[in-house]
Amino acid sequence: MEENFIYAPSVTSGEFRCRVPLKGARQQFIVNGSVQGGASPFTLEVPEGCLRDEMLQLISVRNADNTAPLSTRQIYRFGKHSSGRILQCFHTFTMDSFETEDRVEIRLEEGAAAEFFILQNEHNKASHRTFYDISLARDASLNMVFVSLHGGRIENNLKVDLCGEHGSCDLGGLYLTDGKQTMINNVELEHYVPECRSNQVFKGILDDEGVARFYGRVKVDRDAQKTEAMQANHNIIISDKARAYSKPQLEIYADDVKCSHGSTLGRLDEEEIFYMRTRGIPEGEARIMQQMAFAWEVLQRISSEELRDRMQSLVEKRLRGEFNNCRNCSKNCC
Amino acid sequence: MLIIKDLHASVGDKEILKGINLEINAGEVHAIMGPNGSGKSTLASVLAGRDTFTVTSGSMQFKGEDLLPLSPEERAWKGIFLGFQYPIEIPGVSNVNFIKAAVNEHRKRKGLPALSAAEFLKLMREKMAIVEMDSSFSGRGVNVGFSGGEKKRNEIFHMAMLEPDLAILDETDSGLDVDALRIVATGVNQMRTANNATVVITHYQRLLDYIVPDFIHVLYQGRIIKTAGKELALEIEKKGYDWIINAQ
Ligand SMILES: Nc1ncnc2c1ncn2[C@@H]1O[C@H](COP(=O)(O)OP(=O)(O)OP(=O)(O)O)[C@@H](O)[C@H]1O
Ligand SMILES: [Mg+2]
Repeated sequence: MEENFIYAPSVTSGEFRCRVPLKGARQQFIVNGSVQGGASPFTLEVPEGCLRDEMLQLISVRNADNTAPLSTRQIYRFGKHSSGRILQCFHTFTMDSFETEDRVEIRLEEGAAAEFFILQNEHNKASHRTFYDISLARDASLNMVFVSLHGGRIENNLKVDLCGEHGSCDLGGLYLTDGKQTMINNVELEHYVPECRSNQVFKGILDDEGVARFYGRVKVDRDAQKTEAMQANHNIIISDKARAYSKPQLEIYADDVKCSHGSTLGRLDEEEIFYMRTRGIPEGEARIMQQMAFAWEVLQRISSEELRDRMQSLVEKRLRGEFNNCRNCSKNCC
Repeated sequence: MLIIKDLHASVGDKEILKGINLEINAGEVHAIMGPNGSGKSTLASVLAGRDTFTVTSGSMQFKGEDLLPLSPEERAWKGIFLGFQYPIEIPGVSNVNFIKAAVNEHRKRKGLPALSAAEFLKLMREKMAIVEMDSSFSGRGVNVGFSGGEKKRNEIFHMAMLEPDLAILDETDSGLDVDALRIVATGVNQMRTANNATVVITHYQRLLDYIVPDFIHVLYQGRIIKTAGKELALEIEKKGYDWIINAQ
């Protein structure tokens, strides 16, 4: 793996270390947009044929050293038939109001396989907007899972271009809001060529006055025959004041395709809850269990079992309201 | 064990149970029969604490305690089990995790520690054997994709795990093939003791050949209109309900 940064695990931001590194994962910190021990923009190039199974964990933090609005860039290039797995964690360490805008470029060359797992865990005064510009060449595959755990305003904008035949793109997103948090996911995905597949599942659990917006457009060009495209957005509203806006769209110009899209908005299922309670599971537990089950469809897309378990327990903690016990609520990752 | 007195329950303005009287003692098996829509499932739901139904008058005493103020889970901890006519699917919650959580909640209320993984597994194997259920069902979502008969078997598996004092089995026999019916019924019989009681809601005499009731009650339009011994089932099978309804 060629990187323009020096891998320096001893370089940490103040008191912070990720206390629960994944086994075998390499960690790199990006503090207020600058790569520690390296140059910006953060660039990762995986050379042709290079297979990296270990996770590279990028811990992107904001702290009091720089509270000005910030724009950052990251570039990921996966060469032909290479592979790699990235875990991106976003945190805010101090209670300042942060505005962050990231531009992330992801290029997958022929036959490359990449996975991105993204944990967004910032405090309520943080606003974080990310633009992903993604392209997949022939036979490339991408699996991306967003866990938007906490944050004042989180906005993920994804532009995905399937440019070569037999490309495969999986996008998963789980977002949890409470208080007055807002979580936005915009996906523009385009099938330019035949025989690619894309699959998107975005799910949200919205409490208090939380707001979620999902805008998704899948465009299938005239040449893109035999496309398989699926897009779904499901929201569960826990409180009367929470809001979800959802607009999945399909624009199809080819005739031989398998495409579907759907969106649902619901509450917890009282029949299921009653059933659980008749088995002796207390109501509160039954509700958590059901929310965890709802989240599972997204979390199961995390291919690393260790990371999946970790994310699952974070989500559970979050749903149990155990995050708010901590004033500096953005570091509860362990 | 259970004493129901003049129980009335409604959904909105619609009264469904119109004065039920029923007494069930430890060691007994009661069968409840009656035409579709007569209120059998409603009675079962009300006993289990479903809040869609409002109890407007009357009382339910279970082991000397008023059931009304108790939540469904509290009733479960006290020993009431409801086997659903239409078991609910819970996607994303595996059958094994679900029943493990349930068993441990029951244990917590009894002041017992949670079962270790090994203890739980052993118990589960033992109980699955009672209903001859394949262990592949434990990893799947609760009832998700189970056939009608498999769902009913799973209900009895849950019952076996929780060892209730009062099991109310709502049409557990419907949807079961001949062999499954025998297996399930044998399972239920195995669980019977002098200290527990079983209520089976059924349309068919067939089940009652296996689980022999001490009493058969006929529920019609929200009331029990006849109570008799096990022979009544055979008569109903032959003659239907009209003669009982008309004799009122
Ligand atoms: N939630 C509800 N809202 C309105 N009506 C209801 C509701 N639940 C039950 N009912 C009505 O109450 C009556 C009794 O229903 P119940 O399910 O108890 O009948 P049952 O005796 O179990 O019938 P079956 O033999 O078909 O299972 C029916 O007329 C039914 O439509
Ligand atoms: Mg019924």
